Amino acid sequence: MPVILTVDDSPSMRKMVSFTLVGAGYQVVEAVDGIDAIEKANEQRFDLVLTDQNMPRLDGLGLTRKLRERPQFKTVPILMLTTESSDLMKQAGRVAGATGWLVKPFDPDRLIEVIKKLIK
Amino acid sequence: MAEMHHETGSSGADFDLSQFYQIFFEEAGENLDLMEQMLLNLNLETADDEELNGIFRCAHSVKGGAATFGFSDVAELTHQMESLLDRLRRHELRPTSVMVDVLLESADASRSLLARHQSGDEGTAPPTADLVGRIRKLVSGDTAPAPAPAPASVSAPVKVETVPVEVQQTEAKSRNQVAAVNVLRTLKVVISRLDHVERADAIEELFRDIAGLGVIKSQACNEANTRVFQVETTSSNEDLLDLFAFHVSREQVVIQETVASSEITDDTGGDASEGNIAGANGPGLDVAHASSTLQAPGFGFFDGAPGAPGAPDASDAGIAAVVAAAPTSEDGLPKSSRSGTKSAGAANSQPEAATIRVAISKVDQLINLVGELVITQAMLAQNSRALDPAVYQQLLTGLTDLDRNTRDLQESVMSIRMIPMSIVFSRFPRMLRDLAGKLGKKVDFLTLGEATELDKGLVEKITDPLTHLVRNSCDHGIEMPSDRVLAGKPETGTITLSAAHQGGSIVIEVRDDGRGMSRERILAKARERGLDVSDQMQDSEVWQLIFAPGFSTAEVVTDVSGRGVGMDVVKRNIASLNGTVEIDSKEGFGMKVSVRLPLTLAIMDGMSVGVGSEVYILPLSSVVESFQVKSEAVSTVGQGAQLVKVRDEFMPVIELEKVFQVPRFNTDKTSDIMVVIEAEGSRVVLLVDELLGQQQVVVKNLESNYRKVPNVSGATILGDGKVALILDTGALVRRSRH
Repeated sequence: MPVILTVDDSPSMRKMVSFTLVGAGYQVVEAVDGIDAIEKANEQRFDLVLTDQNMPRLDGLGLTRKLRERPQFKTVPILMLTTESSDLMKQAGRVAGATGWLVKPFDPDRLIEVIKKLIK
Repeated sequence: MAEMHHETGSSGADFDLSQFYQIFFEEAGENLDLMEQMLLNLNLETADDEELNGIFRCAHSVKGGAATFGFSDVAELTHQMESLLDRLRRHELRPTSVMVDVLLESADASRSLLARHQSGDEGTAPPTADLVGRIRKLVSGDTAPAPAPAPASVSAPVKVETVPVEVQQTEAKSRNQVAAVNVLRTLKVVISRLDHVERADAIEELFRDIAGLGVIKSQACNEANTRVFQVETTSSNEDLLDLFAFHVSREQVVIQETVASSEITDDTGGDASEGNIAGANGPGLDVAHASSTLQAPGFGFFDGAPGAPGAPDASDAGIAAVVAAAPTSEDGLPKSSRSGTKSAGAANSQPEAATIRVAISKVDQLINLVGELVITQAMLAQNSRALDPAVYQQLLTGLTDLDRNTRDLQESVMSIRMIPMSIVFSRFPRMLRDLAGKLGKKVDFLTLGEATELDKGLVEKITDPLTHLVRNSCDHGIEMPSDRVLAGKPETGTITLSAAHQGGSIVIEVRDDGRGMSRERILAKARERGLDVSDQMQDSEVWQLIFAPGFSTAEVVTDVSGRGVGMDVVKRNIASLNGTVEIDSKEGFGMKVSVRLPLTLAIMDGMSVGVGSEVYILPLSSVVESFQVKSEAVSTVGQGAQLVKVRDEFMPVIELEKVFQVPRFNTDKTSDIMVVIEAEGSRVVLLVDELLGQQQVVVKNLESNYRKVPNVSGATILGDGKVALILDTGALVRRSRH
């Protein structure tokens, strides 16, 4: 079963994302911010990382950069979940090494649709 | 995306977002509280990035959740707050107190909106159009004081200022590094069927928020519920619709091309549908890789990005540039090898919960049961006293253990209901800020001992009296800044609220460094009101006079306090909690009000007294002293009222025997022990037969179990299983006045 790391400082968003993904047959590990995500990433591998952008301690861009420094995360899809749909943010995500972006608020169907394109 | 209550089709998951509402409401409430706290602590001159980012993040989180869960009114308002905070954290605007005011008001409004959603959308939503308008003005850099609320009328569309548009034009120019590579088009955007016309204003905000999106201008429109904009943009219609969908639904938007296209760059790549992602002229970007391979509404993948569909497993040139700093390793494991990876399991997937939420009724039942247990234990202890320790040694040891365990259990259970005083204290900074602003005063607010815990029931009941005291301090205590300077004090006054445990009580103090109270004025006022006073009275007695009903020494009646409903109510409320109030003051230097409360209402320190065959409990907090007197010391005055002289002071005497009509079988015996009690600022003497001792009693409400009984505040069960009434000392004192 593919394992997805979902990173968001908002408990309700985390719950909703996990619920959606678990319902679609994925295993989910939650992290409350970038630092927590790094710690979780030290413990295990993930098939996909879904991260919010704006978080305390370490934001989504920082997390993406840090994960990409690790050989085992070099090819893992990292999807940025963001309310900031500006081109600048997207370019920043690209430079940081993100695989793509998904604008919040999103529709649970859309999330699964996007993830299915990334995890086969 | 106002409507988010989707039913999932393809995934097969049964999706109902409402199951996350409660988590969201709690989370949003916490974020708004945190935001308010940070706003109140914000020093406008020295605001640093971390503070501003923190406040921004609160608004941002609430907005994100509200939009996701379909609470579009909250999302709209918090989006405006976020826009303002975003400009603040980017240092494009300087924080002002007007901004803080508007943000605080908006946080309040968001709370009301959320509360309405939480209660099932009942009633009408509080209007937010005015707030939205005011924030928008501030965002646009208009520092003029906010105008009178603009009614949400049809005239709104033509009133839209052109200022923000101009601001944003210059911004767009200054950031023209991100100028899109597409064709510049001029569009007419018609947004119709708006239930709130202001909603469309948010579209304008988008153009300011998103650099490179283009220029928007509001155009006159005579149709109701409709807004028309002229837009110059390089983005595709699809992208625009996507962005607009945050505020209005797609069906409401019509986009028409009005002016022939004109090329603004010589770039050959990309059609309009790639507009969003193709803005890749930023420094250091490889334009060739900047287009997206997959571009659907609301999401996109970067071409050649690691993990993207069709991307090679090993890093290509584009990625290599990105991760150049990283230690490059060739043994990046292929995807297939990961399938066997085990998750650390669900236990690992969430931060461990340090608290649980339970219904207060469950806790109360637990407390009740423990109360019963305490009584049973006391009965056992009493009945076992006659047992011979030599014969029943094991039983008695067991009973001693039971005694200790019961006590520990009782303490632990009581502590469940204990909550920190910070719950009460946290409401005051905001209140004082508003109040000081209204009065034109400058006040610093300090709190000490916020972690001090108190029973939940008491916390709820002490909030109003404390609010009154803090208001009084600000209104009557702290002087106007100019007066303070004249008096040689710092311009800004200080109000200190502190809480601390002292023995079995909690002492809460409200202190200010204001003008204090004038002994002379209070005495004069007391005489005016016909109260019995003398110049020889001690200060502490003089201060107690302000607790007399309707007593106020305020020179000015403000809309804050000083209307006569005052300290007497405070005192009465506190007395009803078995608490006491003391005042200390020095004219010109300030005032201190100390409130002493028991830690809980469920257990009380009592003194048990015997009258005939009955036992009564007096709250220990109101017992002053007790002594034996000869019947000659009691003098009878008119209408059978009795007085006793204690150290030059005459006090009314109340015979409990008569009050409760206790039958007396031994007619020779008369009550000859006097207990002085104090309540509501007066003292009376109770005549009893004997003093039985002091003990902690578990208070049972008589009213809810039986009915209200005059002069009795409750009941308890004694060690021997008998019921004893707890006396209402306030009522007894009032009785003596008549």
